[in-house]
Amino acid sequence: MVRFDRTTPVRAPLAHQLPDGRVSGKARARPAVQLRGVTKFFGSTRALADVDITIDSGEVFGYLGPNGAGKSTTLRLIMGLIRPTRGSAEVLGLDCWRQAAAAQQLIGYVPGEPALYRKLTGQQHIEYLSALRRIACLPRAEQLARRLDLDLSRRAEALSKGNKQKLAIVLAMMHDPRLLVLDEPSTGLDPFARDALLGLIRSHAEHGGTVLLSSHVLDEVQRIADRVGIVRAGRLIAAERLGELRATSLHHVNARLGEPVDPAEFTGIGGILDVWISGVEVRMKAPQASLDAVLGRLIRHRIEDLSCTEADLEETFRTFYGGTDDHVERHQP
Amino acid sequence: MTMLSGISRKTLRDQRFGLLGWAAGLILLIAMYVAMWPSIRDQPSMRTLLDQMPEALRGLFSAGGADLSTPTGYVQVELLAFMGPMLLLIYAITTGAAAIAGEEEHRTADLLLTCGVRRSDVVLHKAAALAAGVTALALVTGAALVAEGALVGMHLPAGRVAAAMLHLALLALVFGSLALAIGATFGHAGASRAIPAAVAVLAYVVNGLGQVIGWLRPVRKLSPFYQYLGHDPLRTGVSVAALLVAGVTVAALLGVAMLGVRRRDFSAQ
Repeated sequence: MVRFDRTTPVRAPLAHQLPDGRVSGKARARPAVQLRGVTKFFGSTRALADVDITIDSGEVFGYLGPNGAGKSTTLRLIMGLIRPTRGSAEVLGLDCWRQAAAAQQLIGYVPGEPALYRKLTGQQHIEYLSALRRIACLPRAEQLARRLDLDLSRRAEALSKGNKQKLAIVLAMMHDPRLLVLDEPSTGLDPFARDALLGLIRSHAEHGGTVLLSSHVLDEVQRIADRVGIVRAGRLIAAERLGELRATSLHHVNARLGEPVDPAEFTGIGGILDVWISGVEVRMKAPQASLDAVLGRLIRHRIEDLSCTEADLEETFRTFYGGTDDHVERHQP
Repeated sequence: MTMLSGISRKTLRDQRFGLLGWAAGLILLIAMYVAMWPSIRDQPSMRTLLDQMPEALRGLFSAGGADLSTPTGYVQVELLAFMGPMLLLIYAITTGAAAIAGEEEHRTADLLLTCGVRRSDVVLHKAAALAAGVTALALVTGAALVAEGALVGMHLPAGRVAAAMLHLALLALVFGSLALAIGATFGHAGASRAIPAAVAVLAYVVNGLGQVIGWLRPVRKLSPFYQYLGHDPLRTGVSVAALLVAGVTVAALLGVAMLGVRRRDFSAQ
């Protein structure tokens, strides 16, 4: 039985320099995931276009985008389920298509939709996959099931959507893979299970493991990811450190003031959009980075009412990464 | 090897009730045929009926020179010519179609094909399970024939019955492998059941009518049904040539399945 040690040699003596100038203590010699110019066509429909992603070992990479943008396609490609039309995908130096089986040994995958055998119990799933992976996973699986509060003695068909998802997570993590590829892993989970999942992801990364998780919920990714890639219409339109993304997250600011205001008061604030002022009413959209400046101008007046809500990711995307593309894959969940 | 046998074992385990049902059905069916035999043996008019049939029809019943008043002739016409192969083919084709296309249909392919087992190995071990299931059913059929027949004095030579069952199992395996190959290459569960079934009907007709229609005669030897019954295994035993042809056909179809499954995209539907 072969088990892979999680620790890979650190590039010595120079540590890896991050784009923001910090030096990462988790830097590893070989990227955990490397996509180079990956393009995927389904027939004449382009699902992915020239996607380049490099994820270092120990990194948690959030993969964000609206439904149908190509998130699942990217993840399935890394899992060796589909072949890139052009470009290449590698996991820890192994080609995801040509060396799929070897690469898969290093990966734990939660598919976009739980893939379970209806008639098998959780326990039987664990036994079957342990046999296929040739790794005795039961103790670790039971530990994970306890963390997620999952009953392993029930058949998959008798499980609720959330419990099916929990089982999929147990099956993905039970062999201590070096890379987790999670396609919207918190779908259907209650808040407690969601927290437990985030805890598991965090501890996986703390032990040097790598995580690639897709989501359309910014909040979840904000809590966990080191870096975020945004995909839209099959193109990776941004891969930023989380702080940078947060600064762009759009907020709706609505205020009713004690006296009429002059629109000129809000000039010079970076990034604000759709400013609408009518007498004492003020409405605008502002990225998080500009909220301080907006509020600074507002409090020059007496504030009778104020609300500030974060726009959903879709709107942030539309605003900052705008544009439409008709060649979007429509039904890849 | 544990990893690989895991897939075969699970596939058979999933079928355990199904296989028991098939076996019970075959045993009952044979009991019914066996129970009717004494009355048919003593009924010379049955023989006359067969003789009076048009030759083409007799060909379809694979009853060329069969003598209904002998145990082998009776079994050949009643069981080996149609009912036996039909039942085993239904089992083999549904199992072959379920191997890969069925996993996709039930959305379990994402699990099975991402846990570090090569796709071609998945095909091989699904095929092993298919072969095991078909063999088990052929064994049950053969054993039931010999044992139940002995109860009513319908004595069949066990060796010849075994030979016929070997050829029957290979016939089922040919069509099961065809279903597996279509499912593995195209991932369409419906087509991987329907196409082999249609091909089987065609092959059956070609073999039957090939005995009487001149221009079909050369084509007849291509029919897997010819490899199965053409040399009359209940009377002549195993035909090595027929075994080879069927074996090579199965191997070629599994080769197609392995190539097909490796080239495919398994995209979410």
